[in-house]
Amino acid sequence: MAFLNWLKRHLVVIAGLLTLGYLLLPNVVVTVFSFNQPKGRFNYEWQEFSTAAWTDPCGVADLCGSLSLSLQLAAWATLGATVLGTLIAFALVRYRFRARGAVNSLIFLPMAMPEVVMAASLLTLFLNLGAQLGFWTILIAHIMFCLSFVVVAVKARVMSMDPRLEEAARDLYAGPVQTFLRVTLPIAAPGIAAGALLAFALSFDDFIITNFNAGSTVTFPMFVWGSAQRGTPVQINVIGTAMFLIAVLFVVAGMVVTNRRKRQKA
Amino acid sequence: MKTTQNSSGDVRLTGIGKTYGSFTAVHPLDLTVPEGSFFALLGASGCGKTTTLRMIAGLEEPSQGTVSLGEQDVTHLPPYKRPVNTVFQSYALFPHLDIFENVAFGLRRRGLKSVKKQVDEMLDLVQLGEQARKKPHQLSGGQQQRVAVARALINHPKVLLLDEPLGALDLKLRRQMQLELKRIQTEVGITFIHVTHDQEEAMTMADTVAVMNGGRVEQLGSPADLYENPKTTFVANFLGTSNLIEAEVDSRSGEEIVLKAGDGKLVLPEARCAAPATTGGKVLVGIRPEKITLTHADDAGEIPVGRNRITGKIAATSFIGVSTQYVIDSSVCPDFEVYVQNIDRDARLVPGADVVLHWSPAHTFGLDAAQSLLAGTAGSAGVEEGAAL
Repeated sequence: MAFLNWLKRHLVVIAGLLTLGYLLLPNVVVTVFSFNQPKGRFNYEWQEFSTAAWTDPCGVADLCGSLSLSLQLAAWATLGATVLGTLIAFALVRYRFRARGAVNSLIFLPMAMPEVVMAASLLTLFLNLGAQLGFWTILIAHIMFCLSFVVVAVKARVMSMDPRLEEAARDLYAGPVQTFLRVTLPIAAPGIAAGALLAFALSFDDFIITNFNAGSTVTFPMFVWGSAQRGTPVQINVIGTAMFLIAVLFVVAGMVVTNRRKRQKA
Repeated sequence: MKTTQNSSGDVRLTGIGKTYGSFTAVHPLDLTVPEGSFFALLGASGCGKTTTLRMIAGLEEPSQGTVSLGEQDVTHLPPYKRPVNTVFQSYALFPHLDIFENVAFGLRRRGLKSVKKQVDEMLDLVQLGEQARKKPHQLSGGQQQRVAVARALINHPKVLLLDEPLGALDLKLRRQMQLELKRIQTEVGITFIHVTHDQEEAMTMADTVAVMNGGRVEQLGSPADLYENPKTTFVANFLGTSNLIEAEVDSRSGEEIVLKAGDGKLVLPEARCAAPATTGGKVLVGIRPEKITLTHADDAGEIPVGRNRITGKIAATSFIGVSTQYVIDSSVCPDFEVYVQNIDRDARLVPGADVVLHWSPAHTFGLDAAQSLLAGTAGSAGVEEGAAL
């Protein structure tokens, strides 16, 4: 009876912890196995503790090359998609033009289309154009599929923006450029940042579209996939854990900054 | 003293109009706002008052006509090049900047480096010195309103435009801010142009009021002049309450017009008649409810000679402390309203009692009978709820 009562009172906490565990367990496994010293080529069974992989993360041929390539692609794709997506979002919210409705719906199409279909059709397109598959074809593809996500994120923000704020800026001696830099951009920034983060994450771990359009170029996800056929180096877990930690670090830092600002204001 | 100096800061609108496609928001109008005055554009929503204000600010391009500030034609100047600042409806404070930076915005855009002293002084003027580092959303409505005023005033504009600045405040705060704005205007001496749909607000604050209706200026004048001498039924009904009686011109004697309304005769000074009064023609006779004296029918003999009189029956009364409002049913005008100060209350004046309404002919005004009796009342199209209180 006492146990049942205790369960009743803590049910929400228990359910929450279980869900969190469900979400984080894969990451824990990746982290734990980054300290494994496997026998043979596959890192699927726990053998003994070792920090060998952490001290030599680039010890596997081509791993760090592919990682660097993926980071570069993600950076450029984020930049391209964020700039274009922000412009599209502003155009869709602020201006009335012919086919605005059509553009508004078509922009969602890449999100809804099965990725493998898009990958195959993109390859067909590139081949017909006679394009050399590699860094540039991957980048074009990534910007393309990141674009919709950026537009959605920025549009939501711009729609909730009071147009009178920009009028107020113009009324207070700010020309068009100053108005955009001092008022429009800072207010739209959270939406743009959300779009950019989304674009980075999507581009960095994309496999399907990249695999179709990469030619002989190998990105990090492709490297992981490829090596999984022949054996999985522990370094993959090291990189995975490091990425996870960096992301967590960013989130925590963001929270600390926000909290401190809130406390200063109060 | 050069005479030109007096007009050096006037706002002059010449034949200014605005059309959107086939819809005319503002019919071409001429308006001069003297330098240093507190000017109100009064009207119901959609009457063109805000569009007119936005054309002065430069936020709206006029379809025709010109805007000049003093000697300078600013019609084609963008808003950021005009010496005019605006207090926007719901304030439009920059949410990402603190109060200090909001107020400093205009100074910084004009390239001033040391703004601290000026901003601090301005924040003290509106009693917000303590709040300088807060963000707008942390302030109350009244405080935000004061920031909006400070942000505009710090630039020492030639003209300050106020677009329904008190609309978002509750009644008590609105009263307080009305006096506050009037005080600031007197102190800084800048021309204020104030757009509002609240007739009481316009009358309390402004030296001159322009009543707008359907994209036109119906009448322009001092609050007292507009109230006492309305020229149209819209103005008569929109500013306060008017009793309007349809009457026929019977004869004219010297300065006076004698009118026939029902069985009785009413006298109207010719100077107070805004319509051409030809014998046999129709005129609307207007009288404000507080100018009327109410006498019980039994005492009708005591009413002095020479006063306009109408007989009727009390339909309803409502006691509101300082005065009592009566609705009188009479043959010439149903729902005749009379406000009586509660000095000596006559116990016989209850619903159903026969009464005589009488007033001095000098308080009567005459209007063109070709207009709608109901223009400008709360029920008519284009008048907001509560606008014609």
